[in-house]
Amino acid sequence: MSSRLRPPREADFSSPLRDDRVTARVGLWLGIAFLVAFLTGVFSHYGQDTPGWFTYPTGPVSLYRITQGIHVLAGTAAVPLLLVKLWSVYPKLFARLPWPPSRAGLVNGLERASVAVLVSSAIFQLVTGLQNMTHWYPWGFSFRSGHYAVAWVAIGSILVHVAVKLPIIRDALVLPIDAATPMPVAERDINARVADPALSRRALLRTTWAAAGLAVLATAGQSVSWLRDVSIFGVRSGDGPQGVPVNRSSVEAGVTKTALDPGWRLTLVNGSVKRQLTRAELEAMPQHTRSLPIACVEGWSAGATWTGVLMADLAALVDAPADSELFISSLDLNGTFGTSTLPPQFTANSNTLLALKVNGETLDIEHGYPCRVIAPARPGVLQTKWVTSLEVVA
Amino acid sequence: MTRGVQLGRVMFSALGVGALAYGAWLTWEIGSSQWLALGKWLAGGVIAHDLMFAPIVVVLGVIGSRLLPSFARAPVAVVVVVWGTLTVVAIPFLGRFGATASNPTLLDRPYRLSWFIGTAVVAAAVVVASFLRRRREQ
Repeated sequence: MSSRLRPPREADFSSPLRDDRVTARVGLWLGIAFLVAFLTGVFSHYGQDTPGWFTYPTGPVSLYRITQGIHVLAGTAAVPLLLVKLWSVYPKLFARLPWPPSRAGLVNGLERASVAVLVSSAIFQLVTGLQNMTHWYPWGFSFRSGHYAVAWVAIGSILVHVAVKLPIIRDALVLPIDAATPMPVAERDINARVADPALSRRALLRTTWAAAGLAVLATAGQSVSWLRDVSIFGVRSGDGPQGVPVNRSSVEAGVTKTALDPGWRLTLVNGSVKRQLTRAELEAMPQHTRSLPIACVEGWSAGATWTGVLMADLAALVDAPADSELFISSLDLNGTFGTSTLPPQFTANSNTLLALKVNGETLDIEHGYPCRVIAPARPGVLQTKWVTSLEVVA
Repeated sequence: MTRGVQLGRVMFSALGVGALAYGAWLTWEIGSSQWLALGKWLAGGVIAHDLMFAPIVVVLGVIGSRLLPSFARAPVAVVVVVWGTLTVVAIPFLGRFGATASNPTLLDRPYRLSWFIGTAVVAAAVVVASFLRRRREQ
């Protein structure tokens, strides 16, 4: 090694831990984590922005709690997997670009460009996902649109990368991890000093799995209630008014006065038929109690017992059929949270309530007093709080 | 190359190119007002990793391999992977960047205390493991 300081070359990295067998095995699990996060993420996106061909299911009631909990945990587990995976191929960053230009050089350049897209989209997904989990919004783009679009870019570039590397991946996975002979690395300098690694390849893999497992354990408490005390990095302890955490507070929504106004009325509209109800009138209607989880896109969830009026009964008050689509407006005037649409299958479902109480007590203002939507299996952002009107969509 | 691998390559690349194209179209649809912000974070992540995080890890690796006694290297490496990556996951918690005064149910755990205790525990584990390995080496 020359004593003059210079940028490293690919051959300078001499650890036998940077081996295709390590890369392929960590990459396999990283790919699985991304695929799971992708599928559960697309499901979540369709729950909020449902395409015409997709009917969102009304059960099991914990459906979204489970899919979104898995989404966030798969992403969390992917952090150590991605970091170790990138560590194992870091020397490739310093590989020489082929010069002068040739056909092989073009292929190599294209492959490197696709890897750049892969790395940047993968890091983007994990960083923005983690930020969204913790309500940290330092960017100037819409989280949902950005995270969704880049999800397709990430999964697409992963698939292309697997296609390019498939022969290497297959050979690397077949070769035993602790076999003594290192795989031939064509461009690595045979005369370079081969470092004595701190760990065996097998030990590095086990350490990586442990890191992924521990990252999951440390954050899972926000979705898995019995892990609450173990999860030192859970976003929520599970405490909150009336035993339920809050995602959007009355102060953020700007409803601290309007929600408590005695002049509040629930307005029901079906074409020209219109009715207004006070909270007392809602309380006088047949009351139903349901145990339903509230589960948010951030991955946290909490079970609660809700009491209120069946959505179908409210539709009937303005002569609308039980399977009406309802447009719901909130006192919260922010577009994202201020309105939602309840598809017909949810209005008709006997688990969908306009809740007046939670866990036996009158709804706290933080949970949506005077009344809120609670439907089974749906993303929390659609469980509109501080409801002011229900309109039948023609 | 076997036929299975070839078939797999064709299948994966077709699916991948399709997904990439759809992702590009979705990004286009987001609108030009958000492209710059998206681009900054897309490029920022890879730059932060390749030009900051990874070089730091490499330098620490070189220093560790030269300065650490042989019996301490494995325990330190394990802790760097496990506790280092967990610390990266914990950044938004330790900084509590998303906390709001009006919502005390959010980020309501003693994250920094937990992190310090965790760090102390793994540091102690390194010392104990190194000590045991040294005895075995002698």
